[in-house]
Amino acid sequence: MYYVDLLVIGLTFGSMYAVMAVGLTLVYGLLRILHIAHAAVFALGAYITVIVANATGSIALGLLAAIMITPFFGVAIYRLLYQPLLSYRPDVPMIASIGLLVLMQDGFRIVFGEQGVAFRNNPYAIQTFDLHGVTINTVQIAMMVAAALIFFGLHAFTTWTRIGVGWRATVSNAKIAASFGVDAIKVRYTNFIIGSALAAVAGGLVALLDNFVDPRTGVIVSYKGLAIIVLGGLGSVRGTLIAALVLGIVESFGTIFIGSWLNRDAIAFLALIILLMVRPQGFTGARAA
Amino acid sequence: MRNRLLRIAICMAMVLLLTGLIAQPAAAQIKIGFQAPVTGLAATDGKSAQIAAEMAVADINAAGGVLGKKIQLVSYDDQAKADQAIFTANKLIGEDKVKLAISGSYSGAGRAAAPIFQNAHVAFISAYGVHPDITRAGDYVFRLVILGPPQGRAAAMFIGKNLNLKRISVISMDNDYGEATLEGFLDTASKFGIKILNKYSYSLQDRQFGSIVASVKRDNPDGIYVTGYFFTGAPLVAQLRAAGVKVPVIGSQAFDSRKFIEIAGAAGNGVYIVDSFDRFRPDPSLRRFFTEFEKRAGYPPEQVAAGTYSSFILMADAIKRAGSDDPAKVRDALAKTKNFPLLVGNLVGFNKLHEVIKPVSINIVKDGQFVHFATIDDLKLLAPPEK
Repeated sequence: MYYVDLLVIGLTFGSMYAVMAVGLTLVYGLLRILHIAHAAVFALGAYITVIVANATGSIALGLLAAIMITPFFGVAIYRLLYQPLLSYRPDVPMIASIGLLVLMQDGFRIVFGEQGVAFRNNPYAIQTFDLHGVTINTVQIAMMVAAALIFFGLHAFTTWTRIGVGWRATVSNAKIAASFGVDAIKVRYTNFIIGSALAAVAGGLVALLDNFVDPRTGVIVSYKGLAIIVLGGLGSVRGTLIAALVLGIVESFGTIFIGSWLNRDAIAFLALIILLMVRPQGFTGARAA
Repeated sequence: MRNRLLRIAICMAMVLLLTGLIAQPAAAQIKIGFQAPVTGLAATDGKSAQIAAEMAVADINAAGGVLGKKIQLVSYDDQAKADQAIFTANKLIGEDKVKLAISGSYSGAGRAAAPIFQNAHVAFISAYGVHPDITRAGDYVFRLVILGPPQGRAAAMFIGKNLNLKRISVISMDNDYGEATLEGFLDTASKFGIKILNKYSYSLQDRQFGSIVASVKRDNPDGIYVTGYFFTGAPLVAQLRAAGVKVPVIGSQAFDSRKFIEIAGAAGNGVYIVDSFDRFRPDPSLRRFFTEFEKRAGYPPEQVAAGTYSSFILMADAIKRAGSDDPAKVRDALAKTKNFPLLVGNLVGFNKLHEVIKPVSINIVKDGQFVHFATIDDLKLLAPPEK
């Protein structure tokens, strides 16, 4: 039961990472940019959820506000930071992205205070269910459900809707897609809107689980998100999900069994190094010819 | 003709400038250098420390200053990072020429700055950094908070004797602060009949402790001892209670903050905090400190603020007793301090290594307030190392 407990916890961590990292992989697939500032979007989503929830008394309203506001921020990052730099080598926008993340971290401190914000009334963090000896709380269930819905939803979106198919075409080959009438700009905006909204969902759920958001919240996942999309095969949504879940489980078991000499992040990255040495293209990436 | 006038005018201007520079009014001020992590990951404590420092200097100056001179606070942000601590320490010594300094920062930063101040013969007080190496830098370095290992020993005595809990799971933060405190606990645990079931560790940025919580649940201990800060302790306690773990949680000093109660919510009630600031001592200066700090900061003061404020008051008192701001004399006056009233309690004295000798107060969180619960005054157990 203990090991099942650890597995469930691993899946929860993994779901959270997956929802966060999918935005990163979407941007990479489309623009070949490592959108590290995505972690700032995630943190902003978390902050908005708490602040709106505290102001209105409704957590649902907080989440909704986060989902609606963060896409503006995400699209702004694209328009102001990436679009002017698209003609350069991909590492140029990536460096700009890192710079933005560092700036945002202190920005959050200045705007929202260094002490962080907490929900005034969050019953979900301590609401638990006991399923055959495994304790799981509401937010953890919500995370796993959210991850499942999101990935299924993305799959449906890219297979059965016009915009979604257009997006997939643009990712495959932007020129040919454009010659078929797919508007590349619309695709990019859609990309950032969806990615940012998903980051907001992840942020809001993490805020609910921890009952606390501080300026460090984004940074914790920023470099892990990068590791996950590399492990999953850059640009592959399915790979991201698998990699995120694997990493979550590795962390969950790792912190107990080797936590005395390696901390959690070190374990995650050690696993990444080993997995990449075995399979450099990631889980679902194509093997370089 | 014009050329000559111009040259005379320039010479006169230069003479005036030089006179102005040389004939500066004798700076009737005593500078005290100060380092606090105002930005970065420790910004919360840094803000408290900074406000407490400013308040202390204002209070000292309002009461007439020291030896007829005003105190001038020269403070820098060290971001709780060793490299910044070293850089700002050198700046304080080289540029600002301070001869007295106080660290309102974390152990990692204090540890880096202490040897620099020692080598420059600057009297230096660590307000709340607890790592043992800080005072080992030399005789100019003093610490105004009980260092890590005795805090851990006090926790062991409190858990084993006062609470009579024997089977304990330990969750520790893996930085200088957490490890130093844990060391003391581990050393004396068996003396009080404590059996340590398991040790877990986590890092400064962890906020989710799912697997640790599951493992503690499996351990089924009588109690849990946690070292860490309020921003890790509060989520941890909330997650423990959420998982159905109901046994007492005993936390370390850095849990002591209003924010702990805010984040942990109902889960915070019943948590014990070792070497926590006893807020309800019948002391009028304490009440005044509370109202004034809350007015300046917008939140009530905690251990960090009280410790920093007291460091300045003690430094000023030492300057007065030394009769001068010469660092060697101030150092000697500090070393001779006996029974000095601090905001956090009575300072019995300093030992040979310039560590404080004072009892440990333990609070419990009750109905969202820090309430005094017990005092560990076995000064022999708490005796800080002599070297």
